[in-house]
Amino acid sequence: MEPMILTVYMLIWPVIVAGTLFVIARAFLREWRQARRDDRTMV
Amino acid sequence: MTPNGAELQQLSGWLVIGLLVFFYGGTFLMTLGISKKKENADGYMTAGNNIGFGISAASMTATWIWASSMYASATSGYTYGISGPIHYGLWGALMILFIYPFGKRIRSVAPRAHTLAEVMHARHGRGSQLMLAGSNVVGSLISLTSNFIAGGALIGLLSPFSFQQGILTVAAGTLLYSLWSGFRASVLTDFAQVLAMLGAVVVIIPVVFFAAGGTNMFVEGAANVTPQQGNFFSSEAFMNQGAPYIAAVLAYAIGNQTIAQRLFAVREDLIKKTFVTATVGYGATIIGIGMLGVMALYLGITPTGGDLNNLIPEMAATYLGPVLLCLFLVMIIGALSSTADSDLSALSSIMMADIYGQNVAQKGEVNPKTMLLVGRVSMVLATGAGLYFASGALNILDLLVFVGALWGCLVFPVISSFYWKKVTNMAFVTSVIVALAIFIPVRFSWIPVDGLWGYTVDVLSIVGVGVVLGLMLFGFFGGRVARIGGIIATLAVAPFAFGHLHDYAVLSGSLVAYAVSTVLCYVMSARSSMEFDFDTIKDTVGDFDPSDRPAAAQTDVDAAETHS
Repeated sequence: MEPMILTVYMLIWPVIVAGTLFVIARAFLREWRQARRDDRTMV
Repeated sequence: MTPNGAELQQLSGWLVIGLLVFFYGGTFLMTLGISKKKENADGYMTAGNNIGFGISAASMTATWIWASSMYASATSGYTYGISGPIHYGLWGALMILFIYPFGKRIRSVAPRAHTLAEVMHARHGRGSQLMLAGSNVVGSLISLTSNFIAGGALIGLLSPFSFQQGILTVAAGTLLYSLWSGFRASVLTDFAQVLAMLGAVVVIIPVVFFAAGGTNMFVEGAANVTPQQGNFFSSEAFMNQGAPYIAAVLAYAIGNQTIAQRLFAVREDLIKKTFVTATVGYGATIIGIGMLGVMALYLGITPTGGDLNNLIPEMAATYLGPVLLCLFLVMIIGALSSTADSDLSALSSIMMADIYGQNVAQKGEVNPKTMLLVGRVSMVLATGAGLYFASGALNILDLLVFVGALWGCLVFPVISSFYWKKVTNMAFVTSVIVALAIFIPVRFSWIPVDGLWGYTVDVLSIVGVGVVLGLMLFGFFGGRVARIGGIIATLAVAPFAFGHLHDYAVLSGSLVAYAVSTVLCYVMSARSSMEFDFDTIKDTVGDFDPSDRPAAAQTDVDAAETHS
């Protein structure tokens, strides 16, 4: 396989992980703020 | 290994102590924020069946990523080349994805359950419940032990401390923050752990890649890679790594109480969103970490002592500076702790709900205080057992084969029990036991797989292919598509597989387990006169401690009652 294609293949995964982390962290922060507003614990 | 004269570095003892105190102390402080003097027994097991998307997606992702899966993905990359991490990580990720349609059905049938085995008790009775609960307990103990071993080995490799000191620290740290609040502590700390793990992956993979030579490694190291290892569509990688794992997709998802527990904990309308996000998060993380193994292959690296479990730590110790090496240590400790605390929560729930709640206490006389005590004592005993096994006092790896096979045998009986009114307890138990009895000689090649026995194994394995594909399709598209897909898969595979499949003992063993349990369970149930009423399950499976439900759940229930 071409070295450039292999490079993209290696480095695409951290990018996807970063995207997933952003989605999870944003949702968590929203829920945390909502729980504080409602004066209750998240779990 | 130390390629190109690079030195394998260690962290100082005080620095490692500081990192471990920071990690376990921090998670413990997090749990103090949610702990109550009087915990609710149901909250201890499922956090009130109503947690949100952010925390549940973080928890599913953190739980499913364990240190062993990181090591195994890198091993797969190192052994099978560029497609290796895909054949580990992708199929592992699909375990999460393929279970969610069944999860939605299970939640609708038993909305306030705590364990899958508890629902089996309501559906069939004690035999099938204890079969599932027993396999869950053994599976969680193996996972717990494996995580302790990974922690001990890592601390032993990267610090002046010994393996024994490492496993003791990891076990004590995990128990410290899990013991009081159980599952609630587990899911809350999973968020911090997922931040550490996924954050570390985002940084570490590119840093190692460029430190190891970047794109040049593929040019200079091309000679280190065989044609099969350099082929993205390697048949060797598929048959030895990918295919057995595809066969295990549903088995591990059904057999794992840590998944079931999160399924019962998340708000019902968020199941799909949670499981899809965790699929992507797990898949990208594990495949990404597996690329370290591919890099090691191109670089011509040989792990110390030939032990492939040293691959990731040694790549990190060789190519990362001290700061990133600390981040790496936190990533692995986070991975193994998040799974270990989930295993402790899973084990305690089974002991609370399945053993105490349904088999020890008299019906209607469950004492929530006693139930909580059972859960906490179970956690302490499980930690002790995990430490004992991890110390090498007993080799439990062979148990994993049996548990995995038992889960494979359970898949069809469990799934069909949630959809088909005619499945009986006798069909359930008989099909699982017979399938397990046939699996064992196939998996361990006790009988030479030539001649008639070889052909029999091939036929059963080919049927097993149809069963696996049919069950996967059934979750998403229903019975008609599943039957058509299963039959087409069986017919399509038969000409290529007949006469050959028995050469792959791991794969054919799993497929035989699926085929035998499915055929037997189907034939025995089809002849039964049972017409089970699924609506009765929610009346018999519910809260043990209804007096003081967790606040988050209570708020939403109040809101729902206001709307109605």
